Amino acid sequence: MTRLRYNGFAIALHWLTAIGVLVLIGSGLYMVNGDISKADQFSLYQWHKAVGVIVLNVVLLRILVRLLCKPPGLPESLPQLHKHAAKLGHFLLYLLVIMIPISGWFMVSASPFGLPTFVFVDWIKWPHIPFVERNKTVESIANWTHMILAYAFICFICGHILAVIHHHRHHRLNLLKRMWWSRDK
Amino acid sequence: MKPIVFVFLCLITINEVLAETIDASANNGTLGFVGEHAGMVFTGTFTRWQAELVLPPAVNPKISAEFELNSATTGDSVYDSTLPEGDWFDVENFPTATFESESIVLGTDDKFEVIGNLQLRGKSLPVEFILHRKDGKLTAEFDIDRLAYEIGAESDPDAEWVSQYINMRLTISTST
Repeated sequence: MTRLRYNGFAIALHWLTAIGVLVLIGSGLYMVNGDISKADQFSLYQWHKAVGVIVLNVVLLRILVRLLCKPPGLPESLPQLHKHAAKLGHFLLYLLVIMIPISGWFMVSASPFGLPTFVFVDWIKWPHIPFVERNKTVESIANWTHMILAYAFICFICGHILAVIHHHRHHRLNLLKRMWWSRDK
Repeated sequence: MKPIVFVFLCLITINEVLAETIDASANNGTLGFVGEHAGMVFTGTFTRWQAELVLPPAVNPKISAEFELNSATTGDSVYDSTLPEGDWFDVENFPTATFESESIVLGTDDKFEVIGNLQLRGKSLPVEFILHRKDGKLTAEFDIDRLAYEIGAESDPDAEWVSQYINMRLTISTST
């Protein structure tokens, strides 16, 4: 029997990533552009890094699950061009959601500040990437990459959501069901 | 030997006998620092340091101290992990800091005016402070310009995050 939806664990990872990404985008924009005190800005940076580490690990797990468990095929009624666009869009979303935290990781590792990344507790210290410490060139490139990719990612997420709405309205396809838990296959 | 020479030698000898050497370390004192980061005050101490003090009226008063930079602790894991880094204390290349006095003058009210050099991160710069002796304790505090020692000079050259002046505080218990 053909699966119509992702498996429950993949669905959980998808929504966990979605929540994490929204938190990261919100905190990232606010800590850079918001009119906040240095103390709050510093705390938000540490918080943003910790959430970023969690999202990176969740996405890596998500990719592993995707490789091990075949995802459901796209609906037959979907036009071929849309199928290609969906596959490309999903690939780029995966690429961005990996590249953004990795560029942030490079930025933190290359920063002369040398601030550690604790994942909310002192006993989970995320390591720095070796051989780039105090490298302002790497830090600058990573900084720009992180920012540009983050803005691109916001556009892609909007596209991802609009595509679901579009298919619901024009092709009568409720694609959201593929990514939500149900007793049905 | 002429009597005047004898008396002079006696006075010098008595002075040297009375000259007390005070050995200080984390066991009988604290060497701390206070600064600001992101508008928040942070405090820390060096847990491994030692000093030798010979104070006036000794003929050759001197203070020499050495402290291990990787023993700095603030109680905040972010700061404690950052301080040893290359742009801050750079403990890999400069594991210790030292202070050597150049002159110590006994002032009024058991205050000693101390001038010396603090060597930190390979830079030796002059510092001055008043050492107070009161209630069985010696206390002193003075500010250092972290940027003069190139501490955090790459990360925060405009002291936007970390205060440019760090207050050093010394307390030594002299009572036995």
